[in-house]
Amino acid sequence: MTRIFIPQDAGARAVGADRVADALRVEASRRGLDVTLVRTGSRGLFWLEPMIEVETPAGRIAYGPVTAGDAATLFEARLEEGGAHPLRIGKPDDIPFLKQQTRITFARCGIVDPTSLDDYRAHGGYRGLARALQIGQPGVIEAVTASGLRGRGGAGFPTGIKWKTVAETAADRKFIVCNADEGDSGTYADRMIMEGDPFSVIEGMTIAGYAVGATRGYIYIRSEYPDAIRSMEKAIAVAVNRGCLDDFCLEVRVGAGSYVCGEETALLESIEGRRGQVRAKPPLPAHKGLFGRPTVVNNLVTLATVPAILADGAEHYAALGMGRSRGTMPIQIAGNVRHGGLFEAPFGLTLGEIVDGIGGGTASGRPVRAVQVGGPLGAYFPRALFDTPFDYEAFAGRDGLIGHGGVVVFDDSVDMARQARFALEFCGIESCGKCTPCRIGAVRGVETIDRIIAGDRRDANLALVEDLCQTLKFGSLCALGGFTPYPVMSAIAHFPEDFGRPKLPAAAA
Amino acid sequence: MSLIREIDYGTPPSAETEAVSLTIDGNRVTVRAGTSIMRAAMDAGIQVPKLCATDSVDAFGSCRLCLVEIAGRAGTPASCTTPVAAGMVVSTQTERLKQVRKGVMELYISDHPLDCLTCAANGDCELQDMAGAVGLRDVRYGYQGENHLAATKDESNPYFTFDPAKCIVCSRCVRACEEVQGTFALTIQGRGFESKVSAGMAEAFIESECVSCGACVQACPTATLTEKSVIEIGQPEHSVVTTCAYCGVGCNFKAEMRGEELVRMVPFKDGQANDGHSCVKGRFAWGYANHRERILNPMIRDRIDQPWREVSWPEAIGRVAKEFKRLQGAHGVRAIGAISSSRCTNEETYLVQKLVRGGFGNNNIDTCARVCHSPTGYGLKATFGTSAGTQDFASVEHSDVVIVIGANPTDAHPVFASRLKKRLRQGARLIVIDPRRIDLVRTPHVEAAYHLALRPGTNAAILNALAHTIVTEGLANEAFIRERCDGSAFEHWASFVSEPQNSPEAVGVISGVPPETIRGAARLFATGGNGAIYYGLGVTEHSQGTTAVMAIANLAMATGNLGRPGVGVNPLRGQNNVQGSCDMGSFPHEFPGYRHVSDNGVRATFEAFWGRPLDAEPGLRIGNMFDAALDGSFRGLYVQGEDILQSDPNTHHVAAALAAMECVVVQDLFLNETSAYAHVFLPGSTFLEKDGTFTNAERRINRVRRVMEPRNGMADWEITLAIGRAMGFEMPYDHPSEVMDEIARLTPTFAGVSYELLDKVGSVQWPCNTAAPLGTPVMHTDSFVRGKGNFVITEYVPTDEKVGPRFPLLLTTGRILTQYNVGAQTRRTANLAWHDQDVLEIHPHDAEQRGVRDGDWVRLDSRTGATSLRARVTDRVAPGVVYTTFHHPTTQTNVVTTDYSDWATNCPEYKVTAVQVAPSNGPTGWQREYGKHAEKGRRISKIAAE
Amino acid sequence: MDAAKLVMMANQIGRFFIGQRGIDPVAGIADHLEKFWEPRMRAAIIAYLAAGGTGLDGPVRDAVGRLDGNARGKVGAGLKN
Repeated sequence: MTRIFIPQDAGARAVGADRVADALRVEASRRGLDVTLVRTGSRGLFWLEPMIEVETPAGRIAYGPVTAGDAATLFEARLEEGGAHPLRIGKPDDIPFLKQQTRITFARCGIVDPTSLDDYRAHGGYRGLARALQIGQPGVIEAVTASGLRGRGGAGFPTGIKWKTVAETAADRKFIVCNADEGDSGTYADRMIMEGDPFSVIEGMTIAGYAVGATRGYIYIRSEYPDAIRSMEKAIAVAVNRGCLDDFCLEVRVGAGSYVCGEETALLESIEGRRGQVRAKPPLPAHKGLFGRPTVVNNLVTLATVPAILADGAEHYAALGMGRSRGTMPIQIAGNVRHGGLFEAPFGLTLGEIVDGIGGGTASGRPVRAVQVGGPLGAYFPRALFDTPFDYEAFAGRDGLIGHGGVVVFDDSVDMARQARFALEFCGIESCGKCTPCRIGAVRGVETIDRIIAGDRRDANLALVEDLCQTLKFGSLCALGGFTPYPVMSAIAHFPEDFGRPKLPAAAA
Repeated sequence: MSLIREIDYGTPPSAETEAVSLTIDGNRVTVRAGTSIMRAAMDAGIQVPKLCATDSVDAFGSCRLCLVEIAGRAGTPASCTTPVAAGMVVSTQTERLKQVRKGVMELYISDHPLDCLTCAANGDCELQDMAGAVGLRDVRYGYQGENHLAATKDESNPYFTFDPAKCIVCSRCVRACEEVQGTFALTIQGRGFESKVSAGMAEAFIESECVSCGACVQACPTATLTEKSVIEIGQPEHSVVTTCAYCGVGCNFKAEMRGEELVRMVPFKDGQANDGHSCVKGRFAWGYANHRERILNPMIRDRIDQPWREVSWPEAIGRVAKEFKRLQGAHGVRAIGAISSSRCTNEETYLVQKLVRGGFGNNNIDTCARVCHSPTGYGLKATFGTSAGTQDFASVEHSDVVIVIGANPTDAHPVFASRLKKRLRQGARLIVIDPRRIDLVRTPHVEAAYHLALRPGTNAAILNALAHTIVTEGLANEAFIRERCDGSAFEHWASFVSEPQNSPEAVGVISGVPPETIRGAARLFATGGNGAIYYGLGVTEHSQGTTAVMAIANLAMATGNLGRPGVGVNPLRGQNNVQGSCDMGSFPHEFPGYRHVSDNGVRATFEAFWGRPLDAEPGLRIGNMFDAALDGSFRGLYVQGEDILQSDPNTHHVAAALAAMECVVVQDLFLNETSAYAHVFLPGSTFLEKDGTFTNAERRINRVRRVMEPRNGMADWEITLAIGRAMGFEMPYDHPSEVMDEIARLTPTFAGVSYELLDKVGSVQWPCNTAAPLGTPVMHTDSFVRGKGNFVITEYVPTDEKVGPRFPLLLTTGRILTQYNVGAQTRRTANLAWHDQDVLEIHPHDAEQRGVRDGDWVRLDSRTGATSLRARVTDRVAPGVVYTTFHHPTTQTNVVTTDYSDWATNCPEYKVTAVQVAPSNGPTGWQREYGKHAEKGRRISKIAAE
Repeated sequence: MDAAKLVMMANQIGRFFIGQRGIDPVAGIADHLEKFWEPRMRAAIIAYLAAGGTGLDGPVRDAVGRLDGNARGKVGAGLKN
């Protein structure tokens, strides 16, 4: 029997993975071959999707990008034995894009059958929980603190401290909430884990629950991720059946299309069945979160990383990275880029290494002009800043943010005034409407940028936009309004020529 | 006089006790931990700009004007949502804050109409104030951008308008609806720039679940939600704090005036009963004071089939005195009497009983409390020693389990209901005992743990079954009983309730409530922490009303739920001054302070002070007066502010009794139903037109203050004095405060009460004397007033009013939020928009059997009479039970209620009448006849008027 | 006064006191009637008893028998009220 692995990741399915699977099944059966198709997550090399892998005595051999029409020629080339074919890539681990990575969080993604608990265990799953139970609750919090793990949703808050706060807050009930409302443009790490290695989320949440004394958890998934929702629900059902969730109850909650619901307090409101609207802090969710109880709200990547930290030791994880950014970050390279995909690496790569080196420049072949890091509220960085290392503090030092790790590449055809307008428009569309700067400011911002684009009193209107950005930055209730100035102001600062101002001196460019 | 402007601290006070010191703008401030920086600043006299914060609702943090900077902390946190911390150094005014605030205001004004000069809120607009405070001089965005200025106004509510064009989406209205009122009728609809306040599912206010309490209007910082009266009249210029004259909650209001014109009633934040909240009646339904039907001149007639003739005050008063003296001469001293009103002040009811006892020389004085809470007086006196509830309203904030029995607080005591719902939303458990699924059973974010939907008339049985469970399952609080109660009385009672006929299983058969539900409720009440019982007329208005009150008292004692906050036995009084009128000696057997007329010592005190010999025999109760009238021994009646024909049971009987009397004197605002049988009509004054006090359900003595001259020329108390004088009984007072001084002098529980004290501290709860100079919020703290708590045997005795083949359904009556009692006031306001007629609630099963559809006319027949009204088919009532209200004289619901009454007090059994319901094609012949008769009774002779 | 109504009321009162334990029901009923019934009601029920008292329950009859038709009776035998 030969096993062929075909991703069922939504990214792979979008480019025909299901049709490929059907074609391979039909072709194998027509040829009377004993072939089993295993649907996995994606390895994250999206320009090679659908990338299929075949199990051979020498290890897995990858082919891609495969179309349904390739089925016949693949089998003619003795696919089941890893035979030569124009689409044959070779051993996946030898692909430079994968070879250069340090996969901790994504170690199993694309390899295991996401519905198989046995597969999960066979690949190291539940070692973390076992270790957690061994070292006890304070031990777990200590280990997570020592690992230097910070919130991967974007805020970068030390996870261990958050857990400690919840653990130390007395209450009749506590909750673990996994934030899988992955709304940032150009990001997909959460989705890939849910579709490729959902048990790591379950294990991570179970460990968190054990550490802080919570017996119930919610995974809040955006409605735009139907595959991830199915995958997560299936994994929970398997875990329940197999007795893995006897002491910790897990439930999937589906969002309703609001970007703001990725903000932790709006997310809690949404789970509680209310209008998805940001709460003022304090109280922190760690003190008064879901249903007024102490709550750990962590990004999915954060939680999915915990089992590995426990299993292999905090020191192992903490040894990676730079400065106060320890461990690895799943960088999601997207936009106008040649090699788009998920690249997990220790913190510290420069933006240039990521975009030009790993990403291989633009897909259009034109020069890279700007890169937006950290989602729609991240700053636009020009080539002049490509020496910035991928590190929370380094990006903050240059008025940027790494956010959830999304990197979106633009070539020289981009109009940065339009991008600035888009940032404000996005803020306006996604505003929950609670705080004034965001609710009214976003609309006024678009109107003012339109006047700038139209050449109407440019200087006065640019000054007004700058004032508005100050109001948004210091006055907004949450990061939506508070961070909208990043893309706007970075576009104005680094690309003044697009706003009718003189270009910056060439030396900087 | 000036306009009272209460300080808005921005956020509610902290409940914590620890003190925290910090520095704000260089000032050292010490406040309770948990206090917001905004409130702490206000304590130090520093006003941080704000729009979305107001101290009646929790901090929200949306307007972003109140940002501050804190040394050592990043960013600009909102001072409303950030609590103080020890040693914190806060700056409320910095260059950066100035810029942000100006930036925010610039955004607000870019989407706001610039019609300040013609705006109804001009002079009372926080947006305007803030624009001034931050120094906004220019809106650089211009006014051509996207905006809401063309949004349509909603004028559907009769009392206020909603103008979304002026809305700044601060959510204060939404939060007030949720947190203060607890109705959740408002929401923010849409997102981002499209966020807007919406009543229900984007409905008109009048169509929505809005109960028109006015909390949103009060919370609105702009002209978005504005009283129509303010739009019409303009901003008030002075205000007077007074007390609402509707239900027994006793809310304090600021009557805001422009000259002699009342502009609006605004709930007073320092009102200890209402904490700044109100309901649709108190806040808005005051227009009756100026209703065209109000009678302003005295009138007389010789026979009731004649038209009225307007006369001077002296002539009218002279007629009363002459007639009463004639009747006493001809038929004896006891041939006349009076009925005082629980809607009038303490001083007025005191004077009416004084007139009767001292001037008439008998004890034929009764009050409308007879027909509502007289069993409370008897029952609680027998068990605890005091005829009053044990707690203050604030007590409910400490309750863990609440029993609501025979009361419908969201309709009848809405402001207390809001307080109760708030506690329930915080997690307290609720047990409802009521035949009908009242709103509290399931309302937004509140659901009763148990609803015992018993058959009307089985209260005593259910209460005994609760006690049975508690006693037989060993859940009684033995320590409390041992220490605080009469041991042998408890032993007798415990053995009685333990008997099998009181078991939930036996009572389940009688009451229709599943035994497990009874047991579950009993266990919850006995073991769930602080247990409080709130009850209303659904308990008292039964043949066993007094028994059920005693059973409630027993239950509270058995579970140790007395003598501290969070517990107690709490009668929810129907009218504003039921408690007070009872306190003031309005019952025929009692002097003020509940002392029997046969007590020689007490009587001697009053005789000495009043200078008249007093009768040692109890007088006639209201019902007895009617019976005596029909046998000819009772001939004259003075009725102050009470419409006995509409409100008392068995209308035919009451009408016959009134018709049999020779001199019926009615003192009221309007020609009410009783006046059709009257010979003298004395126009009354409204609560806005007189000074006095009301005592609410929590024994709180609140001041009523005159805000305008009596339109009829005399306050009610002055009319009573005039009658006394004309009958030769001089009662020399120049002001109601002097009446209160006399009450204090003659009544030990009121010894410390004076207007001076009330003006100083706002209100006090009696007992108020040297032992408790500032009053007594919670009674029986160390021992019961009677010494040991007395358990009384409360055997269930079924009423004689029984269903049978002819009358197979049980009618129970009640009231509704927007109408009040017989509706004399509320029917003459725009509250008719919500409830313009009485309707009969009938279960779908019963309706189906009778071919009755929703909205059909039905005929309601009982053994005593019949009336017709429209049906509402609803499962809110159980099969076999029908329900209606008694607000409208066109229905005259009491034509079907019976003569049965409470064994101890003759409180009528309004809550149980066997009836039949059948489809009908309109009002009954009697209703049409009655309508004509009433019309005729209201004729005023033109010639005499000229 | 309507005798039938008075009889019903008196029996209602009687029913309550008969159910009590540890106190004399007749004294309780008599006390209640003295304290709460106006003299003409008491006179009417006394007269009714004198005329046979049909329908009055046993202890109620005894209690009415104890009432003094003219002067005030003694106060304080029954429930403290």
